[in-house]
Amino acid sequence: MALLQISEPGESNAPHQHRNSIGIDLGTTNSLVATVRSGEAVCLADEEGRSLLPSVVHFGGTGTLVGSQALELQSSDPLNTISSIKRMMGRGREDVSQLGNVVPYEFVVNAGSNVPRIHTRSGDFSAVEISSEILKALHDRAVQSTGRDIDGVVITVPAYFDDAQRQATRDAATLAGLNLFRLLNEPTAAAVAYGLDQNAEGLIAVYDLGGGTFDISILRLNKGVFEVLATGGDSSLGGDDMDHALGEWIIEQDGFGDINTGLARRILFAARDAKEVLTDANSAEIVIDHQQQRWQGRIDRDQFEALIQPLLKKTLSACRRALRDAGISKHDIGEVVMVGGSTRVPLVQAMVGEFFSREPMCDLDPDQVVAMGAAIQADILAGNKPENDMLLLDVLPLSLGIETMGGLSEKIIQRNSSIPVTRAQEFTTFKDGQTAMSIHVVQGERELVSDCRSLAHFELRGFPPMNAGAARIRVTYQVDADGLMSVSAEELTSGITADIIVKPSYGLTDVEIESMLRASMDHAREDIILRLLKEQQVEASRVIEAIDAALAQDGESLLSESEIAQIREHRDALEAVIDTASVEELKRLIKAIEDASEAYVARRMNASVKQALAGKQIDEVDV
Amino acid sequence: MQSPDFSQNYFELFGLDPVFELDSRRLQAEQQRLQATYHPDRYISADERDKRLSTQVASWVNQAYETLQDPVKRSRYLLEISGATIPDDSSTTSDAEFLMEQIELREEVEACRHSDEPLQQCEQIETRLGQRADQLAAEFVSYFEAGELDTAMSSSRKMQFIQRIQQQLSELQFELEDN
Repeated sequence: MALLQISEPGESNAPHQHRNSIGIDLGTTNSLVATVRSGEAVCLADEEGRSLLPSVVHFGGTGTLVGSQALELQSSDPLNTISSIKRMMGRGREDVSQLGNVVPYEFVVNAGSNVPRIHTRSGDFSAVEISSEILKALHDRAVQSTGRDIDGVVITVPAYFDDAQRQATRDAATLAGLNLFRLLNEPTAAAVAYGLDQNAEGLIAVYDLGGGTFDISILRLNKGVFEVLATGGDSSLGGDDMDHALGEWIIEQDGFGDINTGLARRILFAARDAKEVLTDANSAEIVIDHQQQRWQGRIDRDQFEALIQPLLKKTLSACRRALRDAGISKHDIGEVVMVGGSTRVPLVQAMVGEFFSREPMCDLDPDQVVAMGAAIQADILAGNKPENDMLLLDVLPLSLGIETMGGLSEKIIQRNSSIPVTRAQEFTTFKDGQTAMSIHVVQGERELVSDCRSLAHFELRGFPPMNAGAARIRVTYQVDADGLMSVSAEELTSGITADIIVKPSYGLTDVEIESMLRASMDHAREDIILRLLKEQQVEASRVIEAIDAALAQDGESLLSESEIAQIREHRDALEAVIDTASVEELKRLIKAIEDASEAYVARRMNASVKQALAGKQIDEVDV
Repeated sequence: MQSPDFSQNYFELFGLDPVFELDSRRLQAEQQRLQATYHPDRYISADERDKRLSTQVASWVNQAYETLQDPVKRSRYLLEISGATIPDDSSTTSDAEFLMEQIELREEVEACRHSDEPLQQCEQIETRLGQRADQLAAEFVSYFEAGELDTAMSSSRKMQFIQRIQQQLSELQFELEDN
């Protein structure tokens, strides 16, 4: 019914072809989404102005809640409220059984799969599926906030994430229906957020201390090129350890008797609160209520700092190692960037500042800086800034190796190699007529395969049968720009390419991903039908409003009574079924109104042209 | 995407003369220029063929850069493209004098651990190792330029041994500083 609303000239110009892209920081505790708006990276907030989305998903049987609504249900419905799912990404049964002491969830492993799933009221879900719910929520927020579809997304991962954890993150993006431009390392993203602002040159250290993890990256910035020289860290060291240290101190202060999980949790919460108070205050009061008893204490900042100093020394040791790997001295570092909520602790800033002999940069919100950097990278990858030559050159965080005789790992690609990277290796057969071989790929720095992380078993099949030692099989290991590995193999004398069957040690198999995708597409189909219906209903009410407005304005002057009655009849027919009719029926009824008011529309056009011309000289009118 | 000529050697790819002494700043600048052209980030919205090709080319550029950047790898690569046969890593040296030198150097590094001034001791050895590496590199250059590839190969091997000891020393320095 566009003709009923006469549009201003020039209004319908085709919009400038700008591709809508977002950056997502998929965090353990909180997640964020950011986009670049008029050249500035901004985090997108929900209706209530909050940009942090708690990384919590609640499965209620009928519906799924993500974020603060889910978080509110954590204590009342712990088994169906999943938090810290990032810790389970790319992890197997044994890893999860260790988590079992910390989290209350019920884990199940389906036959034919090695991926642990969490049992909930709505069904059993893998970490990939649960993460994809968080990604969907962030995506929806971005669509709502920008008013447009999203063309592509950059998702950040910790620099130390191994191949299985990266694969899992990518699978979650696929499952959420996102077009993943790139997986980006969190410290690199932070450097981008700072680097573009300040157009800095030189060497940068990014010190990223989160809730449960520590990352250090050394980068060289030169004319818009960010080159990661080395990365390192500790995947089990973070702000939570500070809470634990303080919690243990509280327990030492007073005999609480037996400490059950409920009390332990309360002590930890109290410790966290005290830690946060000590960011600004010199001392903090601690109150713990337990079984009608109240424990009250006070800790001053010096005492707290003595407790956490050993933890921070560990992070500095990792910094030293990264500097050594990068082949530079700490005095060469030009800027130190702080990322992660735990860098708010004053002692962290003081010790890092002292170590690098320079004031660390904390201008940007440490919670937001990673998402902002991801948004900047996404904007550039989308091609929105052709004049910008920013380029990120990243490295492989952990060495890739293959299992050799005696359970040893032979390194194929060393850690801190620039990616993408390819290495080839030649093997031969050791039996006459051998047509297949198996390669076990592991990741990690240790000598023994059992101390490294198993990634996958690759079965290479379909070689031509030859005498032992005659075949020359070249196996090529490729790590792409996302840090993801693939393997291909060829027998060189015959040129025959092997068929490869990948058995991921922890990840989902292609078949599993496919069936999840199919299930989510079924849901998507339902969602699409619902959306179409909603849209058609909105369109119907718009048509009714337009008709009413038009008739009120000039119906009586332009139409006969019977014409008005006819249009009204169609209008009332549509209004009567607007909430109950199907998409097709609504379309048909809208069409009927359009047909019935065709003549009316033409007369209105004429009238409005006449009115526009009235009182004007003919030479004032553009022809 | 225009595919580069994969038959070029690493020096040709980087537009550098095939000599041992090279300008590391220029090498780095060329690396960034090549990556700015071929890196997969530049082909996010390209078709599958170009995406794959860009990953291949960017990997090749990285491999070339890594080889040219490191003096030991660079010397071996020069010999390789000059037609010398490269013995594999496991073969041992028959130079008895150099063998003795190696053993002594390793022992010296280990002895730092028990020294009164371990870090100072390490620094002294570090300086000496640096000088020895420079000396061997100069030796390599003169043999290589004279076309004595076998002798040049032997210098390259010795450079590699010195590099390993340097790494061992650096590992020890890290350990000592950390405690």
